[in-house]
Amino acid sequence: MFLRRFAGPLLGKVKESTGLVGLEVVPNAREVLIKLYKETLESVEDIPTYAEYRKAVEKFTRFRLKVCEEEQEWEKIEQRINGGQVEELIVMAKDELMLMDKMKEWKPWEVPEDHKIEIIQDDTPIPAHVPRHRSLFTLDPFVPPPKEEVERENERLRKRAEEKTKIGAQ
Amino acid sequence: MTYNRLESFSIVLLVPKWIHRVQSKKQESTFYVTPDHPYEILLFFRCHINTRFDVSIDICGVNCPSQEQRLRVLYQLPTTQYNSCIRIKIGVNEITIVSSVISISPSAGRWEREVWDTSGVHFSNYLGLCRILTDYGFEGHPLRKDFPLSGYVEVRYNDLEKCVVYELIEMAQEFCYFDLASPWQA
Repeated sequence: MFLRRFAGPLLGKVKESTGLVGLEVVPNAREVLIKLYKETLESVEDIPTYAEYRKAVEKFTRFRLKVCEEEQEWEKIEQRINGGQVEELIVMAKDELMLMDKMKEWKPWEVPEDHKIEIIQDDTPIPAHVPRHRSLFTLDPFVPPPKEEVERENERLRKRAEEKTKIGAQ
Repeated sequence: MTYNRLESFSIVLLVPKWIHRVQSKKQESTFYVTPDHPYEILLFFRCHINTRFDVSIDICGVNCPSQEQRLRVLYQLPTTQYNSCIRIKIGVNEITIVSSVISISPSAGRWEREVWDTSGVHFSNYLGLCRILTDYGFEGHPLRKDFPLSGYVEVRYNDLEKCVVYELIEMAQEFCYFDLASPWQA
């Protein structure tokens, strides 16, 4: 039992340096990553399910968590995730957590009803001074999620907030 | 993983409240953002894992007098992670105050001062917002379209007073003979 625990870091390759100024090597990167991703998945519960932001965060966090749990060595983790070094992944996960707190305050998924988004796609090589504006289509008005879903999610979030205050008060 | 225009539409869905137009040409997308939220959207672009646009190479002000929103602030952000670049545009008029992004990327300090100096867009939450390119005591914003090419004031050395003197501009027309009868003959 103890052999496995202590021989883990000895068996794997030791990383000497990240090659990036200011980023130090984190020897137990895998555990740190797993902890951060689990925290992210828990923190995402405070965002309603109909928000695209939540779907995006869950998608890549789940994939990266799965890779980290399956592979033991940092080299293989880096190869499979293909998003840079493990230390960079740690920085990205921390940034995402920080961003999520702010997104919960700002709530960019609550769109007013007459909000229009225009999308223009322009591939032809024209000189830059010629004014062209070809709007392919407009997402107007922005299609809000059905009201029952919004109400259901608000209920769930309210209950979650209450539970948190109770736990904090105890 | 290069960031292409299909993905620019998926970014719009992540933050639909703040974007009101997306323009994508070849492989570069431009997002037109509501003027109240430059700080939020830049923080989102910097921190979100799919869009690590963490460098701020340029912030410039553009004056488009034909549009409703006369002045535009343009942010250029590349990503070192995914090797591409986006642009964020905000349309404001002369009196609107835009929130500064200096707390996200400190290099924006110099750019915002330049935008204030040349185009006149004021930034809030910025302690040292003052002129950077123009002369001390300069009045006006040079890169606006209503500012003349030669400016209003000229500077010369006055021998009597033994100092440099500011005077209103005087353009001597000695070698210009405007004979509009025929441009081809002398």
